[in-house]
Amino acid sequence: MIHKQEKSSMLSQGVFIFIYLAVLTVIEFGIALTFNSAVLLVAIALVKAVLVVYYYMHIYKLNAEHEGDENSYEYKSGTNRIGLWLFLVSDSFVFGGMMVMRINLLGLSHPHLNQTLGLLVTGVLLVSSFFMNRGETLIENGDRKGFITNTLVTFVLGLAFLIGVVFIEWPNAAREGITPGSGPAGAAFYMMTGMHAFHVFTGLIFLLVVLNNARKGLYDEKHYPVEAVAVYWHFVDVVWIFFYPALYLIGTIAK
Amino acid sequence: MRHFVIVGILVVAVAFLANAGLVSAHLMPVEASAQATEIDWMWNLMLAAMSFLFALITVPMFYSLVVFRRKKGDTTDAEHIEGNTPLEITWTVIPLFVVVIFAYLGAGNLARTIRNVPDAMVVKVVGSQWNWKFVYPDYGVTSQELYLPKGKAVLLKMESMDVIHSFWVPEFRVKQDLVPGRVTELRITPILDGSYKVRCAELCGTSHYKMEQPVIVTDNAEFTAWITDQQAKAAALVTPESKGEALVAGNGCAACHSINGAAGIGPTWFGLGGAQVELEDGTTVTADDAYLIESIKNPKAKIVKGFAPVMPNTYAEILTDEEIANIVAYIKTLK
Amino acid sequence: MMKKNTVGSGLLLLLIAGVVGWGVGFGLDLLISGSTPNLAGSVPSAFALLFAVTAFFFGLYGYRGITRGLVWQVAGTLLGGLFVTGIRLLMGMKGNELLEGKFFFSEPAWVFGAIVGVISFLAGVGVMDDWMKWARGIDTDEHHEDKPGWEKYFGVSLDHKVIGIQYTVTAFVLISVGGLFALIFRTELAQSGLQFLSADPTKFNVFNQTGPQFYNTLMSLHGMIMIVSILLGISGIINYVVPLLVGAQDMAFPRMNAFAFWIAVPAAVLLLMSMVLGGFDTGWTGYPPLSSRAPVGVQMFFWGVFTAGWSSILGALNVIATVIRMRAKGMNAMRMPIFVWAAIATSIIALTATQLIGLSFQMVSFQRLFGMGFFDPAKGGNPVLFQHLFWFYSHPAVYVFVLPGLGVISELLPVFVRKPLFGYRWIAMSSLGIALVGFVVWAHHMFTSGMNEYLRVPFMYSTMLVAVPTGVKFFSWVATIWGGKITTPTPMLFVLGAIVVFLLGGVSGPPNAMVALDLHLHDTYWIVGHFHDTIFGGFIFPFFAAVYYWFPKATGRRMNEFWGKFHFWLMTPAFLTLTFGMMFIGLRGMRRRIADYDPALGFDSTHLIMTICAFLIALSVLIFFINLVYSIKHGEKAEGNVWNSRSPEWQVPSPMPAHNYEVPFEVVGEPYDYGLAGSKYVEFSAAAGKKH
Repeated sequence: MIHKQEKSSMLSQGVFIFIYLAVLTVIEFGIALTFNSAVLLVAIALVKAVLVVYYYMHIYKLNAEHEGDENSYEYKSGTNRIGLWLFLVSDSFVFGGMMVMRINLLGLSHPHLNQTLGLLVTGVLLVSSFFMNRGETLIENGDRKGFITNTLVTFVLGLAFLIGVVFIEWPNAAREGITPGSGPAGAAFYMMTGMHAFHVFTGLIFLLVVLNNARKGLYDEKHYPVEAVAVYWHFVDVVWIFFYPALYLIGTIAK
Repeated sequence: MRHFVIVGILVVAVAFLANAGLVSAHLMPVEASAQATEIDWMWNLMLAAMSFLFALITVPMFYSLVVFRRKKGDTTDAEHIEGNTPLEITWTVIPLFVVVIFAYLGAGNLARTIRNVPDAMVVKVVGSQWNWKFVYPDYGVTSQELYLPKGKAVLLKMESMDVIHSFWVPEFRVKQDLVPGRVTELRITPILDGSYKVRCAELCGTSHYKMEQPVIVTDNAEFTAWITDQQAKAAALVTPESKGEALVAGNGCAACHSINGAAGIGPTWFGLGGAQVELEDGTTVTADDAYLIESIKNPKAKIVKGFAPVMPNTYAEILTDEEIANIVAYIKTLK
Repeated sequence: MMKKNTVGSGLLLLLIAGVVGWGVGFGLDLLISGSTPNLAGSVPSAFALLFAVTAFFFGLYGYRGITRGLVWQVAGTLLGGLFVTGIRLLMGMKGNELLEGKFFFSEPAWVFGAIVGVISFLAGVGVMDDWMKWARGIDTDEHHEDKPGWEKYFGVSLDHKVIGIQYTVTAFVLISVGGLFALIFRTELAQSGLQFLSADPTKFNVFNQTGPQFYNTLMSLHGMIMIVSILLGISGIINYVVPLLVGAQDMAFPRMNAFAFWIAVPAAVLLLMSMVLGGFDTGWTGYPPLSSRAPVGVQMFFWGVFTAGWSSILGALNVIATVIRMRAKGMNAMRMPIFVWAAIATSIIALTATQLIGLSFQMVSFQRLFGMGFFDPAKGGNPVLFQHLFWFYSHPAVYVFVLPGLGVISELLPVFVRKPLFGYRWIAMSSLGIALVGFVVWAHHMFTSGMNEYLRVPFMYSTMLVAVPTGVKFFSWVATIWGGKITTPTPMLFVLGAIVVFLLGGVSGPPNAMVALDLHLHDTYWIVGHFHDTIFGGFIFPFFAAVYYWFPKATGRRMNEFWGKFHFWLMTPAFLTLTFGMMFIGLRGMRRRIADYDPALGFDSTHLIMTICAFLIALSVLIFFINLVYSIKHGEKAEGNVWNSRSPEWQVPSPMPAHNYEVPFEVVGEPYDYGLAGSKYVEFSAAAGKKH
């Protein structure tokens, strides 16, 4: 019984967090269109990131006490969790470096991009995070079928994001005159979205791997790999939470 | 206690000796600018600090090595001393204090070194691979040598045509990079007559090692005479060939291309005009005007056999079409 | 197939394949360029080198492990290059443009080929096999048993001790290569004027480079190859020692550990490839716009560094996870061996900052490939931005290099003075202090760069602050030595040498921090001398100390004392003379990175002495190598606690068993309580295994 209740509370938590994120994104967009305060936009991005990092990536699990000796699955999963987070820390320095580049080259301006498309892909990625969280909660409670359905949705949305950025947004921007060689705005745009798209691409591969293995029933008991892929997927989302305002919203349109 | 007294005396003695030795070695070149005097003052302070620190660590260390060596046959351990917190705090706080003092001195020193002197003479410095060009906008003079009057503050406004270079005259001490796309500034007040060299201090490619040109500090009268002389020379240039010759000198072409048939990094210009040139891909072209102009503007278009494609492709920006035509005219006179 | 794989058959094949490879390359060059190629040109030389190295490993080891990796890397590079070339042909880019970089391929083809080559190497060597199985849902054994003997060192092993030795040996190979480069250009510098690296292409033309160009390539590669060798060297020591010190069976992630080592091998291959593909004349710093104009070689350099960076990042990740999760019972933070603290401090920097050098080089690479004008002022880019990104890693990197070495000094000193480490907590915290302050000092490399002038003062302050934790280390070391009962076997000699040399590097540091003074010192041989002092004192000397010290642990034999001491007494004075010479001429006007110098400066005799010293150092290292190889088989037996240390790894017989401690240990005392009667650091008992 207790198990069941925890499951449903986890699921509803996922829904609430998603609603918060969605509302914040709409507010963000509104601010950008109206009085465009960079400080507010950064603050909202930070709030969104904290929500994802805490509730979807459950960073608090790093602190969990583990039962069993150091050869137990729980203990090893804890070690793996630390390894994964260390990797994410390392990876965020890449994205941080690109942010520094963007701030240095563009300052309070952003490339001239299609706002509708930007909001659309952002929304798609956000929804994919929601389904990823749902899938993870389900497999932790032994619901293999639910996991597969939700993860499939995540995968499709992730793919849609990738197509939206690389195969729609890029050619679109190029038609508008923003090419890699057109100037700092183009260079920053293609570098940042390209590197992010590469991470999304790897995330999609990991999703396929866990989908395939879940089908075989490998994660019914030992589901750390699912958690790892979910955390990675949310991390990629967190990066976009910062890149979206940086590329689409903050400041005026760059030359 | 005896050990501490001996070591204390030794530290002081070694520090003094080291400092005296370093000072008497005259490690720095002559002080040819007001900035050099400032910087050397800091340098001498640093020498004292370095000597003292060096003595403070090495003397007790070597003293221990000699005095506290393990005696033959002794197999016991030494006295069990784990540490001493007041001592650790002492040697954290005192260095911190010294750092603060030096931070104060260093900031003042920097401020005096880069101090803005009003009505300084402006000289434009243009760096390119691998040449310095000095332009005196007040006098309309362009030169390969930097002539400076003694005692007069100079403001160098520096630009690079291609990669990063760095302006450094060791006798003036101060150094500043030339960054493409922006103008950097350097202030120098020469105080000592003499002939020095500006040496590029930032790696700038194949012939970086050769990017050195004369810097001459003279008294005011001599400087004025030199300016007049330069102005007269510039006015005397009327034919395209003579203008071309001046341009060649002014852009350091001779660093790679000889005018007498001698080998170099690039092909010689001697007898080049109208000659048949064998290219890297095995074909042959005639060195007519079109070929020579193309080779200056886009050096990688046709590579001469036996030569590496290292010539900078920035001359189309540095030189006007008329100037290039003048250079080509000059090349054709070399027979 | 030869009946037996030996060094002899390896060397024989090396010669034969070298000649065959040269022939193949010469033929291809003839075919492609259509004119008679240069006998020492890029293509023949590259093929000779590739064939020879691969054949050597084939003769030594057969077609598996490293041999297979190298073959796959060559094949991958060519296939990747052909793939891009094919696409370019389909897109209608042909003719001259296709061969714009010469050497068969255009620049994008080389870059893509290099990346495919690295991945192919990793697949070929087999370091990702288990991961691929996991991805397909197949479980594997937690550990793989290694075969006894030397063969395990040439293929993938998951044992941290094997990996540690693989790292160390690779580091020595690269140190030798980098050192050889230094000897070549040091010889050229012995006299003013260009003697054999002539600027005349008819007199000197190696890999399509004239003398000064080749000088620049060698000088740049000396820097980066030495840096990679240092990263591998510290990884070697850390990998071998840290799990033993904390009482773990292995590193936290053995497969990632193997991966981190093996990715460094193709990285080294890429770095060397840069030399044959036209070289690069940018120095190891690769500042644009110079690097955006350099020959194709610079791309190999960028991607080689990028690849080597991953070795460093993943290795650091592993160390941190191991220390957090796998310490023995009772080993709380203040009872860890001090070297573990140093390893942690180093790993924090390597894990995070390394990404920035990868990113900055990637951006220059993309600037060349796609015209993205990050650093191109003509396109609105900013050349100084590169320097910020670059130094954000490359300054903390020097702390990556020296912190483990300083840890070795702190670890070894108490053993040889028979006295506790003075102020353990202060030394541990000073490592972290140096690492953290190290993150905010990078722009002191840019005092003359034309960055915002007001930024120079805060960076001067933060830089000077480094002196405080470094001072704490020095004072604590002296206090440890003071009143000890000192013996000076070879490892201790190197520790003492390290302290003196690092002190010289330390005291020559503050002048560079003072902005005004740095305007004179920046980019001169003074800096070169200062830098070599810090790196020899912070890495080379402690590294040798560590090898002499832990050699018996790995082999059960010890290295020859006489030749060890000879090595020390030859290397130390030669090195000190060399760097004093560097500093002296630097102050008087010798700038960095020049192939030749103005004879009017009067530096000829100093340079001659420095060159002689460089050869003496090389000789001493050669003696070390001979001693090392000889001692593996013939050294004096040393299976017990050779140095009478309290550290856990010395409480069990040498060489170390495959799975480390058969009986786990529990920490029951302080690590360095020498001289305290009846005290113990660790106690072995089966019960200690229940850690949690």
